[in-house]
Amino acid sequence: MTILIAEVPPIRAEDLTPQRPWTQRPKSFWFAALLGIFIPLLILGGLYATTDIAPPLLLIVFYLPLQLIGAAIAAYSTKGKHGIADSSIIVFAVGATILSAIVLGSMLVTIIVRGFEALRPSFIFQNSVYISPSTPLEYGGIGHAIVGTFLIVGIATVISVPLGIATAVYVTEVRGRAVPYVRFFVQAMSGVPSVVAGLFVLTVFILTGVLQQSALAGAIAYAILMLPTVARTAEEVLRLVPEDLRTGALALGSTRARVVLNVVLPAARTGVVTAMLLGIARVVGETAPLLLTALKNDQTVTNPISDPISALPTFIFDNVAQPYPDAVTRAWGAALVLMILVSVLFTITRFLSARKPRK
Amino acid sequence: MATLTWKVLPVAPDTPIRDLSKSKKANRGDRVFNTTITGAAFTSLAVLAGITLFLGAKAVPVVQDQGIGFLTTTIWDTTGVPPEYGIAGMLYGSVLIAFIALFIAVPVSMFLAVFMVFMAPVRVSKLLTNLVDLMAAIPSVIIGLWAFYILVPPAEGWQDLLNQYLGWLPLFQNDSGNFTGTPFVAGVVLAIMMIPIVTSVTAEVLKRTPPELINAAESLGCSMWTMLRYVALPFGRGGIIGGIMLGLGRALGETIAVFFVLKIVYDINFFNIIESGGGSVATLIVAKFGETSGDFEVDVLLAAGFFLFLMTLVVNAIANLIVRRTERLKG
Repeated sequence: MTILIAEVPPIRAEDLTPQRPWTQRPKSFWFAALLGIFIPLLILGGLYATTDIAPPLLLIVFYLPLQLIGAAIAAYSTKGKHGIADSSIIVFAVGATILSAIVLGSMLVTIIVRGFEALRPSFIFQNSVYISPSTPLEYGGIGHAIVGTFLIVGIATVISVPLGIATAVYVTEVRGRAVPYVRFFVQAMSGVPSVVAGLFVLTVFILTGVLQQSALAGAIAYAILMLPTVARTAEEVLRLVPEDLRTGALALGSTRARVVLNVVLPAARTGVVTAMLLGIARVVGETAPLLLTALKNDQTVTNPISDPISALPTFIFDNVAQPYPDAVTRAWGAALVLMILVSVLFTITRFLSARKPRK
Repeated sequence: MATLTWKVLPVAPDTPIRDLSKSKKANRGDRVFNTTITGAAFTSLAVLAGITLFLGAKAVPVVQDQGIGFLTTTIWDTTGVPPEYGIAGMLYGSVLIAFIALFIAVPVSMFLAVFMVFMAPVRVSKLLTNLVDLMAAIPSVIIGLWAFYILVPPAEGWQDLLNQYLGWLPLFQNDSGNFTGTPFVAGVVLAIMMIPIVTSVTAEVLKRTPPELINAAESLGCSMWTMLRYVALPFGRGGIIGGIMLGLGRALGETIAVFFVLKIVYDINFFNIIESGGGSVATLIVAKFGETSGDFEVDVLLAAGFFLFLMTLVVNAIANLIVRRTERLKG
C-alpha cells in the first residue's frame, strides 16, 4: 500500500500580492474608454468656444456629468452593469489627482518663475540695510535672512536632536515602564500649533526677561516643533535594528549603555540622520513662532542672543502684501530660496531612506 | 514532504526585557545612562505641562477680569475703560474654516489615495507619493504667498458664480458684492494644506489592507467599488478617521497661510462663507501681536493661545486614540 502525501507548494510572497483583475482589460475596453473621454472633451471644447459660460461652471455643471455618463457607458458596454460604479470612481480619482497636480504644479511653477526674477548674486549675499520696499531689485538681498535661518535652525537642531534621539532610545532600548505615556506625550506634542510654541517661548523666556527676542529664543520655539518629528522618526529606525545585534553585544559582555552607543545607534546612523533632516524640514519654513520670538532685523546678525533676527520665512512674511512690486518679487525670490532648501532636505531624506539596509 | 514556509517575524521590540538597571548589581554607567535617557524622554511631557501651566497662568487672570464673556462675546475694545475682549468670533471662525477645509479636502484626499493605491501603476504611485509628501513640505508662508497672488483672484470669480447660482442658499449669500477675505477662500487654502496630510495617512492605511482579503474579494468577483466598499474602507476606517482628525488639528492651528487670505472681523460670521470677513484664533494672535497696546493685551493674546492649544490638544488626542485603538484591534 502506498501512502500518498500531498505536496503543498510553499506560499510565495507574490501569490499574496493583489492581482487587481480590473486592470486586465479587453481591447474593446480601450476603444470604449477612449470614446468615453474623447466625446465629453469634444463637447467641453465646443461649448467653451461657442458660448461664454464661465469656465468653472462649464467644468462642474457640464463636463463632469458628461464625463461620468461617458465613462459609465464605456464601462457598461465592456463590463456590464458592475462596471458603472467603478467607472465613476475612476473619473473622480483621476479628477482628484489632476486637481492636486494642478495645485502643486501651479505653486512650483509660480515660485520658480517669479522667484527667478529676483535671483542674482547680490540678492543672495547682501543684507537689507538701507533697503526700503520701494528700492529696486538691484540693491539689497536676503543674505541676512539666510544666515538667520541657518543660525536658528542650527541651534534648534543642537537642542532637539539629542533630546529626540534620547526619547526614541527610551522607547526602543531602555523600554521603561512609561513607554506608552512617553509615546502619547510625543504624539500630543506633535499637534502643538506653531503659534502656540512661539507664545510659550514668549511667556517663559521673553516676558520674564531671561532672553531677548533673538535667534536663541526662535530656536527654542523651533526645537519644540522639531522634537516630536525627530523622536518619532528615530523610534521607527531604531526598531529596524535587528534584535540579534543587541543580544549579541550583550552576550559579549557589553553594558547596556555600550550596546546603545556603540552598536544600536551606529547601526541606525543613516536613519538617525534622516530623522534629523526630517525635523529640519518640518520647521525650516515656520513663520508664526519667529514673528513672536525673533522679530526681524535688516542687518546680518550672528550673535544668537543679542539682537532680533530675520529668517527666510519672516522675510517673506514682511514682503508679501507690500504695495511695491519689487518688494513682492523679493518675497518670491526668498520663497524660491526657501523652497530649494526644503527640496534639498527632502531629496536627501528620500535618498537615504530608499537605500536598503545591509543584511 | 509537505513543506510550508512561514514568514519569520522579528521579535517585537515591545517585548519587555528584564530590567536589571535598577538592581544593585547593575553597572554604574548603565544606571547613569538609564537615568539620563529617562529624564530626556520626559522632555515632551515637560513642554506640554509647561505650555499648559504658563499659558494657563496668563489665561486665568484674563478670564477672571473679562468673565466668561471672554469666550462668548465678540467685543475687541482696547481703548475702553475697562478694555473689553471676547474671542467667540475667532473660536467659531477657526472651527468654521477648518470644516470648510475638511469638506473640500476629505473627498479629494480619499479619491487621490484610492488612485495611488489601487489604480495607478507602481511607478506612478511612487511618484505621486513623493509629490504628496513634497506638497506637505511646502512651508505655510509660501502657500500664503501663492494663495494671495495666484488663488485669490480667480477664487473671487468662483464665489461670484456660487452667489449667482446658489445665492438663494443662506450659505452662499453675499449682499456686499465683496468676495475678498472670505472664510471660503481661507477654507480652500487650508484644504490645500490638509490634502497631503489626509492623503498620505489614507494611502498608508489602504496599502495595509491584507492582500488575502483583497484577493478573496476578487476571487468572489468583486468589482473595485465593491472591494473598496466592503473590504478596504471598513478595514482602514479607523486610520482614515484618525488621519482626517490630524488634518483638522493642523487646520485649527494654522496661522500664516490664513493670515494673507482672511479678513479678520470680530463679529461672528455664522454661515455666510462667501461674505468678506471671518475669524481664526491663531491668525488673530499674529495679526494683533505687532500692535498690542500694553501688557494686558499681550496677556489676552496669550489667553487666546491657551484656548487654541486646548482645542487642538483635544482634537489630536481623539485622533490618536482612534488610530491607536484600530491599530491594537488589528494587533
